[in-house]
Amino acid sequence: MALTDLALTNLALTAETPRPRAALKDLSISFPRPDMPPLEVVSGISLDVAEGEFVAVVGPSGSGKSTILRAISGLLTPSGGQVEVDGKAVTGPPPKVGFMFQKDALLPWRTVAQNIRVGAELGGTPTGEQAAQVARLIKLLRLEGFENAWPKQLSGGMRQRVSLGRLLAYRPSLMLMDEPFGALDYQTKIAMGLELLRVWEAERRSIIFVTHDIEEAVALADRVVVFSARPARILAEYKVHLPRPRHMRAMRSDPAFTELTEAIWSDLALPD
Amino acid sequence: MSDSITTRGPAFARPGRRSFSFGIGTTGLRQIGLIAVLLGLWELASHTLFNPFWSSRPSLIAARLWELALSGELWLHTSTTLQEAGAGLVLAALVGIPLGIVLARAPEVARTLDPVIMGLYGLPRVALAPLFILWFGIGLFSKIMMAFTMVVFIFLMNVMEGIRTIDPDHLDLMRSMRAGRLYLVRRVLLPAVTPWILASFRIGIGLALIGAVVGELIGANRGLGWYVESRGGQLDTTGVFTGLIVLMVLAMLANQLVGFVERRMITWR
Repeated sequence: MALTDLALTNLALTAETPRPRAALKDLSISFPRPDMPPLEVVSGISLDVAEGEFVAVVGPSGSGKSTILRAISGLLTPSGGQVEVDGKAVTGPPPKVGFMFQKDALLPWRTVAQNIRVGAELGGTPTGEQAAQVARLIKLLRLEGFENAWPKQLSGGMRQRVSLGRLLAYRPSLMLMDEPFGALDYQTKIAMGLELLRVWEAERRSIIFVTHDIEEAVALADRVVVFSARPARILAEYKVHLPRPRHMRAMRSDPAFTELTEAIWSDLALPD
Repeated sequence: MSDSITTRGPAFARPGRRSFSFGIGTTGLRQIGLIAVLLGLWELASHTLFNPFWSSRPSLIAARLWELALSGELWLHTSTTLQEAGAGLVLAALVGIPLGIVLARAPEVARTLDPVIMGLYGLPRVALAPLFILWFGIGLFSKIMMAFTMVVFIFLMNVMEGIRTIDPDHLDLMRSMRAGRLYLVRRVLLPAVTPWILASFRIGIGLALIGAVVGELIGANRGLGWYVESRGGQLDTTGVFTGLIVLMVLAMLANQLVGFVERRMITWR
């Protein structure tokens, strides 16, 4: 087994990256509970995400993966440590950080085009250029013909595509994705993953992609971070050396892919 | 691609859709039939079972309506009551909706105000009528205030509840994209509570009419409530029933109007 080649230390990573887009420094998060000690969800996590890097976070459900995304986006305040985005400590929602949820969170009273436009409006695209930007994204995400459809008329996959369109219209430099394809069926999930890669490879933005699907994490990311069960700590980190652009079928028979997923499997199976 | 859409082809609703029909379906025919039967029974009973002095009869009421319409009295009283109830309703919406939004977004303030609001809401507000006549006189204003106090709580509580049911993901999304307060209100809060606001109008119409009529019963010189009250004083049951029937028709028409607006405004549901 060539596991030692795959596993990389934090030190080696930071050495090859100039300034991190986002940095978690000894981050701890706990929630107060009535009549009980606070529930510790995240315990002392340190993680850097480089400019243009695609980082996937895997771990058991309820392990605080989503919670760290909420801390990075300033939606919740950590109980210890610090989050930095573009070198600034996060105290509220930082600029140019986009969030995509497992639920599409489309506004049901806005059409497909209008929902994508929300990202353009809030991302500071000048009013005169918003329509053109929305039209480009509709084309990029293959939503032509559905511009004026209501969200309720779309399938789950299409709704997530609109949600991705809204995220891209916001023009974030850091994309936080919380199991964005977790509610989709297997085939749609694969298709959406490839769609995301196609968009991401065109203009590389940093992504932190939370998932409980190990294969999805390896297939998409540059680096996979493995979280323990609650309270979350980092069990291991793997650099993914698979060539880009990634091709699903070729990758699934690639021994490096299999080795990596196997390694993460055994990490997660261990109690500690 | 594994894309699919629940409605195939270009058949989905467009926002600017303008299709409605004035045709009366089978339900409508049955409804009209039922009303005709009830009126017929009333007419028959007043000829055979009891004296029309007590409960009048449809033919007498129809004749009275015609008489009042010709003399212009029908319009005078109807328009007066409509103005009172309408102004009260609109005022209640203008106060209740923003207040509901503010209180839903400021739970600390809402908790502090809760006993006061619930106290006022629990108060039988009809009993305020004599006080309002004293304060605001026997003109339009006292009736507008009556209608207002009857309806404002409906808007307030419905809007608060509507905002509570908003998907927290929508709020998180807006926060993460640093949406301003105005943007949040215009793009998320108001559209989300629009169905609740329309439902409030539906309930509010009847209550606003009650407020206006109660005010007229206590002290007025025109309006449908005043007409009913003054006819009753003269033992003219036909006059009383005529006023009541006009009030009933007004409430039904207003309800239809809200239903129509609802179908036009909430096409996304």
